[in-house]
Amino acid sequence: MIEFQNVVKQFPDGFRAVNGLSLTVHDGEITVLIGPSGCGKTTSMRMVNRLLSVTEGRITVEGRDNRDFPAEELRRKIGYAIQQIGLFPHMTVLDNIAVVPRMLGWEDDRIRKRVDDLLELTGLDPDVNRDKYPRQLSGGQQQRVGVARALGADPPIMLMDEPFGAIDPITREVLQDEFLEIQKRISKTIIFVTHDIDEAIKMGDRVAILREGTLVQYDTPDTLLARPKNRFVRDFVGADRQLKRLGLLRVRELMVKDSPVVSLRQSAEDARRAIESAGVKSAFVVDEDGVLRGWVDREGLRENPDSLLDAMSEGDFREIGVRQSATAREALSAMVARGFRITPVVNEKGVLVGNITLRALQELAEQGWAEGEPAS
Amino acid sequence: MRPPALEVRAIPNRIAMLGSAVAALGFFFLPVVTLKPNRISAGVPFNLLQFQGDYRYIVLFALALVPFMIAFRKDVGVRGWLLVIVGNLLMLLTLVLPAIAGQHLLANAKQYLGPNAFIQNPRLLPTGGLALGLVGGYVTLFAGLRDLERSGVQGWVRSLAAWLGVAFIFVLLVAGAFNIYSIMVEFHTNGALLQQKFVEHLMFVAVSLVVGFVVGVGLGLWASRDERMAPMILYAVGIIQTIPSLALFGVLLVPLARLGDMHFLPSLEVFAGTVVVAVAVGLAYRLVAGRLPSRVQTAALILVALIVAVPLVLFTGVFVSFVYRAARIGFGGGGGFGGIDNAILALVVVGLALWAGRRWLFKREGAFRLVLRIGYLLAYSGALVVLMVMMVRAAATDQFLGSVTSVQALTIRNLGVSGIGVAPALVALTLYSLLPLVRNTYAGLENVDNAIIDSGRGMGMTPAQIFFQIELPLAFPVIMAGVRNAGVALVGIGTVATVIGAGGLGDFVIQGIVNTSVDQILLGAIPAIALAMVLDAVLRFVEGLLTSPGIRHVQNT
Repeated sequence: MIEFQNVVKQFPDGFRAVNGLSLTVHDGEITVLIGPSGCGKTTSMRMVNRLLSVTEGRITVEGRDNRDFPAEELRRKIGYAIQQIGLFPHMTVLDNIAVVPRMLGWEDDRIRKRVDDLLELTGLDPDVNRDKYPRQLSGGQQQRVGVARALGADPPIMLMDEPFGAIDPITREVLQDEFLEIQKRISKTIIFVTHDIDEAIKMGDRVAILREGTLVQYDTPDTLLARPKNRFVRDFVGADRQLKRLGLLRVRELMVKDSPVVSLRQSAEDARRAIESAGVKSAFVVDEDGVLRGWVDREGLRENPDSLLDAMSEGDFREIGVRQSATAREALSAMVARGFRITPVVNEKGVLVGNITLRALQELAEQGWAEGEPAS
Repeated sequence: MRPPALEVRAIPNRIAMLGSAVAALGFFFLPVVTLKPNRISAGVPFNLLQFQGDYRYIVLFALALVPFMIAFRKDVGVRGWLLVIVGNLLMLLTLVLPAIAGQHLLANAKQYLGPNAFIQNPRLLPTGGLALGLVGGYVTLFAGLRDLERSGVQGWVRSLAAWLGVAFIFVLLVAGAFNIYSIMVEFHTNGALLQQKFVEHLMFVAVSLVVGFVVGVGLGLWASRDERMAPMILYAVGIIQTIPSLALFGVLLVPLARLGDMHFLPSLEVFAGTVVVAVAVGLAYRLVAGRLPSRVQTAALILVALIVAVPLVLFTGVFVSFVYRAARIGFGGGGGFGGIDNAILALVVVGLALWAGRRWLFKREGAFRLVLRIGYLLAYSGALVVLMVMMVRAAATDQFLGSVTSVQALTIRNLGVSGIGVAPALVALTLYSLLPLVRNTYAGLENVDNAIIDSGRGMGMTPAQIFFQIELPLAFPVIMAGVRNAGVALVGIGTVATVIGAGGLGDFVIQGIVNTSVDQILLGAIPAIALAMVLDAVLRFVEGLLTSPGIRHVQNT
């Protein structure tokens, strides 16, 4: 646990970058610090491992004032990853990752094993990459090594300053997803600085919005989006915050099973009966393995009353369905793009597992909007 | 067998044509050698056609035209090999055939020079035709090597092809095949003197470079650590560089003579005085610098830099003179150069050992780490022992402080400082080496990416670890480039030092100028050029050895 207690940071030129910040970073969570430039987010982070000194107040790490330790000793216990990555170009990948373990005096065998484990954890083949130099790696690979290096000596705490900021958007998405997967396994206490609200919402267990060195709101991403505290937060999270909120929810959690399903073996008559008894306009069609193959609606059945195969509209499950692991936002986007009011939900193999409707998503968004409106 | 490189687009090799043209121009239109009756008199020029009694030179005419014909072949691989062979042959025969033909000229010197010539030690002066023949051969060789590269021949094979001819020429040179040429005649007459002057030259360049390295890198470090000192230091060493070398020798003459007369103990007071003044002025400048208008600031900066430079020059001058004197006596002892030979041998052994260990140099794991560490420890302690032996041997001789019986009687001259001789040369050379060293050290350290240093700090590295493990290795190639610049420049400037009686290879050059003897000029100039090239190559080798492969490609100047 890291605690900021009325922390003030005043620079020699008189500028107060941080002005009475109090904040508790919980164990095993990613706490995102975000705000416009100059809000003191990076300054706050750099005071934790004492790259900057605290002017007033104090920061405790696991209950002890961080000034109780020598600065270098403190820093070796705290992983550090920055936007520019800062890999040492004259050292191999192995040597880069081994920097902190070596300072802590680990045995060579232990270091080597640790490096290989970390490379595998971050999705790099140790045998291929161990002896490469940073310039031989792509930007994304370098950032992975940067994360691996921060994890080098298995520190309980990590500070990450826009670690994915200098990477192209597609690779960034991939790295974010991978890092969340890694975090599920290692459960580090992480302070994560970013200026990208989408990244904050995606990565953060909690998000702290800072403004001019003070804390404006500190909540889970869902609460932040649903109930912004004031106009500043509302503007900062953006006019599309309802959509962003949908980005937090997984289809798996929202889907229902209220749409009729017919098998390819069944007749057109069976399909018509199923649709009518459910009081809807269409039904999904699956094969004998339960894999989604298309859909059939009342109109199609009217034109081809004798054959289900002629009446149905065929389609690949990747194109007409959404995966259960997708976010509600992605589902909404797919529905808008395809012009569906209802969309089937499938698992990785294409087996139909449920469905989700445009109306349900709309209601979800509206509900948040109503809750989020300030009383005034 | 190598498959013919048909896929390579075969355009005529224009470089080979150029080589052909250059060689042909030399052989057809210019004299190849000049027959001289003695060192000084002008001689009689001969071109290839005028050689008599020997018709092997015809090969050269033919050979000069061959690259032109080969250039149009379409098979690039074969063409490359042919050009390499012809190029090597051309260089070799351009030297060998005139030497053979020249036997006849020398044997009948009277006949060619006329009855009145004063014939003593007659020799052949190589002239334009021979030079163009060599250049044409080299260009042809180069053209062939390019073809070989295009057709994918491996690097080491190409290097072998490039150096084989040169190596053979060198063997012939040592065997005495070229003794007929004037420069070799001069070499054989002055051989022992040349060796002595060469060692002298090497020593004052080496001592100035080492002292310059210590002082220059130190100042560069200081400048990079203290951003307010940086402009002062850079200005101070920059000003030194603007003084012409001859003028600097002259300027140093009087003060060094005065300094030499001083007794050691009072000189300490003077030195302390200049240091105090320099520090006071420097501090005062730092206090007011921000508030001065910019134009005044530059002027003030130059003034301050000059004042700060005084103790620096004093200290460097005395120090470098002292080290040189000690080294000269310690290693030389007068006649033989046994000490030098042993030191060079030790350096070669250490160099080979480092080369053999280079693969493990950058892996900090494994059994070899220990071996390497011990190796380095041995190398360093070996160097220390050599230095100690040198000092002890120097102190034991009468030459060194022999006449001095007490500290009160010790003068600065006893430490090796004097107005003429090697002291001003050493001081000047050391000062000249400062600019590239200071500038490159400063630039190298300044250019280390801040993000890299920040991540080092963030991971808990101490300032010393950051300096030695991050900043220094990253700045190293830049610093070494400065050392190479300084070294090569010093070898050249060192030849001027002869005018103040410092000795070195410049002695031959200035004598040659006085005597209008090209042979003597070349006798001084060629070893100097060779020394500069070898020094550059050795320093490059050391640089390559100690630079991490991860940054090697970035620094390639």
